[in-house]
Amino acid sequence: MTRGSPWVRIAAALLAAALLHAAPTAGALTDDDNACLGCHGQEGLTKTFGKGESLPLRVDGAAFEGSVHAPLGCAACHADVDLKTHPGATKDYASVRAFALAKAGVCQQCHEDAFKQHADSVHARRIREGNAVAPTCTGCHGAHAVTPKTAYQTCVGCHAAALAAHQKWLPNAALHQEVVSCAACHAPAALRMVDLRLYDPATKTWAAEKPGEPWFEKMAKSLDPNGNGLDARELLELVKSINPEGTRAPKKFRGRIELRNNVEAHRLAEKSAALRACDSCHSVGAEPFRTVTVSVTGPDGRPIRHPAQNEILSAATAVVSLPEFYAIGGTRSQVLDVLFILALLSGIAIPAGHLTIRWLFRKLRSKP
Amino acid sequence: MSAKTNRVYVHPLPVRMWHWLNAFGFIALILTGVQIRYVDLVGLMSFRTAVSLHNWVGFVLIGNFFVWLLFYLFSDKIRVYHPELSPVKHFRASFRQLQYYGYGIFKGDPNPHHLSVYHKFNALQSMAYQIIMLLLVPLQFVTGLLLWDLKRFAGAVDFFGGVRVVDTVHVLLFIFFTAFILVHPYLASLGHTPLAHFKAMVTGYEDVEEPPAGG
Repeated sequence: MTRGSPWVRIAAALLAAALLHAAPTAGALTDDDNACLGCHGQEGLTKTFGKGESLPLRVDGAAFEGSVHAPLGCAACHADVDLKTHPGATKDYASVRAFALAKAGVCQQCHEDAFKQHADSVHARRIREGNAVAPTCTGCHGAHAVTPKTAYQTCVGCHAAALAAHQKWLPNAALHQEVVSCAACHAPAALRMVDLRLYDPATKTWAAEKPGEPWFEKMAKSLDPNGNGLDARELLELVKSINPEGTRAPKKFRGRIELRNNVEAHRLAEKSAALRACDSCHSVGAEPFRTVTVSVTGPDGRPIRHPAQNEILSAATAVVSLPEFYAIGGTRSQVLDVLFILALLSGIAIPAGHLTIRWLFRKLRSKP
Repeated sequence: MSAKTNRVYVHPLPVRMWHWLNAFGFIALILTGVQIRYVDLVGLMSFRTAVSLHNWVGFVLIGNFFVWLLFYLFSDKIRVYHPELSPVKHFRASFRQLQYYGYGIFKGDPNPHHLSVYHKFNALQSMAYQIIMLLLVPLQFVTGLLLWDLKRFAGAVDFFGGVRVVDTVHVLLFIFFTAFILVHPYLASLGHTPLAHFKAMVTGYEDVEEPPAGG
């Protein structure tokens, strides 16, 4: 069976549609999946390749069950396995690397959009050049434990020296790495936005909805009845609704610069093309600050978002509603701008006025 | 007839050094601060250069603040900062000084404040400089330090209510100091000659008119 087989594509499309409507829950594995795990859940099972390399074939059942792909089941990605002959002859690969490159085709069956974005990326170019460590799909996303992760968690797996490299030129580098998605600068052609995610200081983690108890979207929609995105007053109300009076450790929104469409994270450019100009973000009306969402982490780790108006970032009420998000320039308060202009005018007008009055009364002072 | 004048040593060398370094440092901080905050409107230098300069000058001024603090803590000159403990006396003197700046100065009245080694500030300056040097300047340094490395000082930033609160305080003080740096030289030009106080802050000596006999 080849990658291009129309039956595989149809099956993949149907499975993908099923996945979109199925929330991954514990115990989602089918009997067939558990049958696979009967052998593949055991330690010691390996596959040997032509160059003598071996690949462990053990799959962590619990990790797979928690992955976003669990509802698809084993057969969705391993359709080339013929149970009549398994574990007999399968297609031979020269190396683990060759196997990983070939298996990327399985991902493409569902994630065609990501592949298009990836085609001109620095990672794709390195793969085409024959770089042995350039990541394939599983290099960044894992194979059987695909879960929502931040780009930072994904990228530092290989780019462990990134922080030290950024600290050489980027002020507050550690903070930038925490609040700016890697792809926001390293995929310069992608569109960015501000995502204000709810943080729980009591647990020191992102506040998350429990399975089967959705509340965030309902609350946000009730406060934004016209559906034009939360404005400054509505955001304040949302914060108050989340933290009723007397809440000991109120939950707060923390901002992150992320991509409007996460698939664009695959458009990673050469390092030399990454955004380095500070005013890409640190100026009024900068592109990342034009689109704003408020969000809470969903039960599966993916954000549940509600749109907000970008005025909430610079409103005077932000001191109360967004005390933990501020970006120089990008969230500049107009109230403070007016005060600055008044201070400048006063600093010039008061001495000039006083001097003028002294000059007008100079004759009075010269009298004996 | 010209009044007899005495030369009074009011600004010791450490104070003069602190003052001028502080003055030029504050101007540099305001200019780089404006560049950082208004990068879309101002093009004096790149954002990164402005941030780097702002940080360096900030640290120099924090060090300079301790020159001022240690000098006054370990010399008897600290008396110039001693507050007037009688509120009636203090407000009466403040009112006289306000009346002088707002009215008397136009018709040639003498300055009600008589300068001496341990009494170099008038009532308004005394109150203003105590607030500025013991509250506003340290607060500006602390908020600036927190903003310099938000990760390192995350606990303190949380304690103060979050990064936006810290930044808002920093910007409000920046606005105040911008107005201050514009008004301060003008007030300094209101000596017996326009340059008298400027010269004094270079040489250390003020020319002080002797009060009239019996006055």
